[in-house]
Amino acid sequence: MAYPFTSTARTVGTVAVAAVTYCLLVLSSFPTYTMQMLGADLAYADDALLALTANTYETIGALGLGLIVVYAIATGIALTAAVGRVRYVGVRGARGLSSVLPGLVASGCASCGAGVLGLLGFVGALATLPFHGNLLRLGGLVLLLGYLSRIGDPRQCSIPAASESE
Amino acid sequence: MDLPDSPTTRRALLGGIGTILAGGGVVYGASRLDSASSPPPDVPLYSSSETTGFGIDLQGHPVMGESNASVDVYYWSDYQCPFCRRFEENTLPDLIENHIETGSIRFVFIEYPYLGEASMTAAVMDRCVWRTVREEAPARYWEWHSAVFDAQSSANSEWASRSNLLDITRDVDGIDADAVDACMRERRDDIEASIETDVQQARQYGIQGSPAFIIYNRQTNAAGQMVGAQPYERFDEAISKVRNA
Repeated sequence: MAYPFTSTARTVGTVAVAAVTYCLLVLSSFPTYTMQMLGADLAYADDALLALTANTYETIGALGLGLIVVYAIATGIALTAAVGRVRYVGVRGARGLSSVLPGLVASGCASCGAGVLGLLGFVGALATLPFHGNLLRLGGLVLLLGYLSRIGDPRQCSIPAASESE
Repeated sequence: MDLPDSPTTRRALLGGIGTILAGGGVVYGASRLDSASSPPPDVPLYSSSETTGFGIDLQGHPVMGESNASVDVYYWSDYQCPFCRRFEENTLPDLIENHIETGSIRFVFIEYPYLGEASMTAAVMDRCVWRTVREEAPARYWEWHSAVFDAQSSANSEWASRSNLLDITRDVDGIDADAVDACMRERRDDIEASIETDVQQARQYGIQGSPAFIIYNRQTNAAGQMVGAQPYERFDEAISKVRNA
């Protein structure tokens, strides 16, 4: 998990990915509103982000908003580590990617939740879930952190531990 | 306190502090967005038995604005929805001042309870309050409506219980809370069925969340849909567009 902070460029990249992820997650909580606002004028982006941040906070509380922030940071770390792995060992050797991407997708769905469910027609479904869907978000985050723990530092090769019977 | 020696640790620490500050700022900003509730409008509320050209049955819904306004705005909301509260606080006062009081639009309140059982309780009480005041003191409805949005708290918590909503009703001058209570006991099933019909109709229009609006030109039948607590300027543009369509 320390690799994304081992240079200024990686740190900036990680923070940028985290910020973009946060914006996408919050804006996707009410996709039709976001599309109408941004479709009218991109200058409404900050209005939409602030309004939906407030709405997210009031709907799922500080814990839910905090989970989204942590998920965004974890995504920044995961993507920076994944890019580093491709750079050091190439696409063929980047087996870790195959384990990270499904985790990102699965936990991302768990994090944004409301917007996706709304688009699918399950309006208000998250409100009926335990803790307004925060349990689902926490599960998604644990899933992502589990996948993150498998990546390791892309500059180092992992050597499988020999079994004790050998 | 010793500062960490490793550049990696320092960057991680700075990144963490920056994130916490940014996150804290966002949460603080989000928590400071509330503003005072809307002042009472200088335009009467009234009931109507008309079914509009768009297919909205106005029976049972409070209507605000000139009955012969060229444009209708249908407004679906849920008393438990924070985004509806944001619209009521930030945008509706300007709409009232610049479009409803000037006779430019007619505004129709329609319940869209979808955030749990308490949403339906509040929606039914809304209908009961309107039934109680619509003939003699329709302006009281606005005071009750604003008072409930002012009291909004976490969805499906105690604030939207029947007893708490009745307490709010008792605090609004000119509303017979006992009559509202009786209406809740005796007519709840009928009113729920009527609200369910409204919700199904809204879904047929593609409405998936609240607040939601349909802006309808009564002369040309042109219509447009808006969702969410969009700023007043967006409504102003949309109303002009539909009026000129």
